[in-house]
Amino acid sequence: MRVVVVYKWARNPTDALVRSDGSIDWRNARMTAGEDDPAALAAAFAIAAGSDGEVLGLTIGDGDASWALARGVERAWSVADAPSLVDNAATAAILAAAVRHLGEVDVVVIGDSRQDAGVPVALAGELGWPALVGLTSATTVDGRLQAARKVGGAAQTVLLPTPAVVGIAAEADVDRAPGMKELLAARKRPLTRLSLAELGVAPDDPESLGCAKPDSTPARVFAGEPAETAAQLVAALRSEGVL
Amino acid sequence: MNTDCWLLVTADGWGGAFRIARALPGRLTAVVIGPRLLAEQVAAAGPDEVRWTDPGPVPAEAWGAALAGAAADAQPGVVLSTTDPAARVLLGAVAGRMHARLVPAAVALAVEDDRLLVRRAAVGGETIETLRCTGPVAVTYGGDDVAAASGAAAPVTPVELAAAPLAVIASEPLAVASGLEDADRVVSFGRGVRARDDVSLVQGLAAALGAELACSMPIADDLGWLDKSRYVGRSGNQISPALYLAVGIGGAPQHMEGVRGARVVAAVNNDPEARIFRTADYGIVGDLYDVVPELTKAVRNLPSKELEQ
Ligand SMILES: Cc1cc2nc3c(=O)[nH]c(=O)nc-3n(C[C@H](O)[C@H](O)[C@H](O)COP(=O)(O)OP(=O)(O)OC[C@H]3O[C@@H](n4cnc5c(N)ncnc54)[C@H](O)[C@@H]3O)c2cc1C
Ligand SMILES: Nc1ncnc2c1ncn2[C@@H]1O[C@H](COP(=O)(O)O)[C@@H](O)[C@H]1O
Repeated sequence: MRVVVVYKWARNPTDALVRSDGSIDWRNARMTAGEDDPAALAAAFAIAAGSDGEVLGLTIGDGDASWALARGVERAWSVADAPSLVDNAATAAILAAAVRHLGEVDVVVIGDSRQDAGVPVALAGELGWPALVGLTSATTVDGRLQAARKVGGAAQTVLLPTPAVVGIAAEADVDRAPGMKELLAARKRPLTRLSLAELGVAPDDPESLGCAKPDSTPARVFAGEPAETAAQLVAALRSEGVL
Repeated sequence: MNTDCWLLVTADGWGGAFRIARALPGRLTAVVIGPRLLAEQVAAAGPDEVRWTDPGPVPAEAWGAALAGAAADAQPGVVLSTTDPAARVLLGAVAGRMHARLVPAAVALAVEDDRLLVRRAAVGGETIETLRCTGPVAVTYGGDDVAAASGAAAPVTPVELAAAPLAVIASEPLAVASGLEDADRVVSFGRGVRARDDVSLVQGLAAALGAELACSMPIADDLGWLDKSRYVGRSGNQISPALYLAVGIGGAPQHMEGVRGARVVAAVNNDPEARIFRTADYGIVGDLYDVVPELTKAVRNLPSKELEQ
């Protein structure tokens, strides 16, 4: 099968801080891969391995696209001028245009993001392909695409037709940092830059009227002598009715 | 602005999404792909109509393309789902076909000056952004789940639609219950506990509280100090105790996903900047090795009947 793995290299949303006015401070956010991306990559290789296929990398935005190349992907494409968007369908439309640009593709594997839970499913919708998301893994058996997931206390294996989109939700951090040899190999591997104009997409976002803190009460935090703080917490929990 | 709404339901947990959908002035159609009982429960909440497809053993996702076609005919202005994987796949199929925007983690919908306002949670719910949208909009619901409303029961209309060839070919029950699911109180510890021998310290507090003992993922997965059936979080247990007391746990979002349903979250951590204080209700800044013995003592000193469950 011809497998495309979609990944990102972007500021880590869990490092973002929210200021008192609700605006977001990204200054301390490090660049990372999507947290589900290592698991998605593993699934992409498993699907390809089961079918003598190949894995193509696809990323958007102006981040470092070599993440997948250093992890065994032979060729990658990057839509470097794609903006960061709130509208997951707009992000998905860029990804879908890039997938079409790559020609015949059997499976798109993508991290099933919590932050942008609409990207994988809108990508499938845009391509008009069947999809499963929230998967723990995927592979090919006898030339057919199979995916594993947990549903209602059971571990299920589901058979999918191709072409299809599969969204992988990582259960743990399975990333393996590449060694020097792999980093050097990555530099020689072809990375093709695509532009929005080339793909014929012009994404836009809905108008933002601004951000505000939700009206939840902040934590009551006790500090000081252990015996005193312990008594304060126990009293607070009793007044909440949980003790 | 067309505010006729489709709410896509494939599993329980649709109460919160229903509530924000019902707040719109348009006609509310619930599209249920699931067992008859689910369709009837949704109907009892009082949408204007329920369209129901019984998937039998086939994954609900198989109806994505067919629903997309039906939505293209009906042209709802708003399409809504929970974050449930199957419902999301259906939402994506509909959004793609209708060329709708797709806004994740919506917590409220409103109409103002004939435009749809979508409030959506960002940075894990720490800020709420308001977006003004035109044209068809798809959203996933990102707020707390609420119990289903009860309204004038709507008729349930069975609908036959074509399914894509997806099939469940194996299904095995997951490991047995750990007792955490229905615990009223849970005391949980993380890497702030330095040695296996120190687990007894936290165990003592749990015993005093009549609580179940749980942990963060690294404690079970990497260190093996508790069984894997006892860790809390996205990939572990999702629990809803009245009290969740986290000791020496940093509060990573993957961990906190497991206690979204807890009524009161309290934390002991020696780092005043620890992330867990952003989402906890109560906290003690202090060394757990000093604080836990004092907490245990304070709890033991409570009149005994107070701790009956
Ligand atoms: C895809 C994925 C899925 C994941 N799923 C889960 C999941 O389901 N569940 C889960 O738990 N994690 C999960 N994780 C891991 C998660 O990101 C965190 O790494 C993990 O929860 C951290 O565990 P911790 O809080 O015990 O450790 P740490 O983050 O190391 O926190 C320890 C805390 O203890 C405090 N501390 C240290 N010493 C003391 C002391 N003496 N007294 C008081 N406080 C002290 C520190 O200040 C610190 O805040 C997942 C990660 C990934 C990538
Ligand atoms: N700019 C982007 N915004 C959102 N998702 C993206 C973007 N680029 C790629 N993606 C894909 O969407 C997923 C979001 O991942 P996560 O980091 O888990 O939120 C990733 O697995 C990527 O494959």
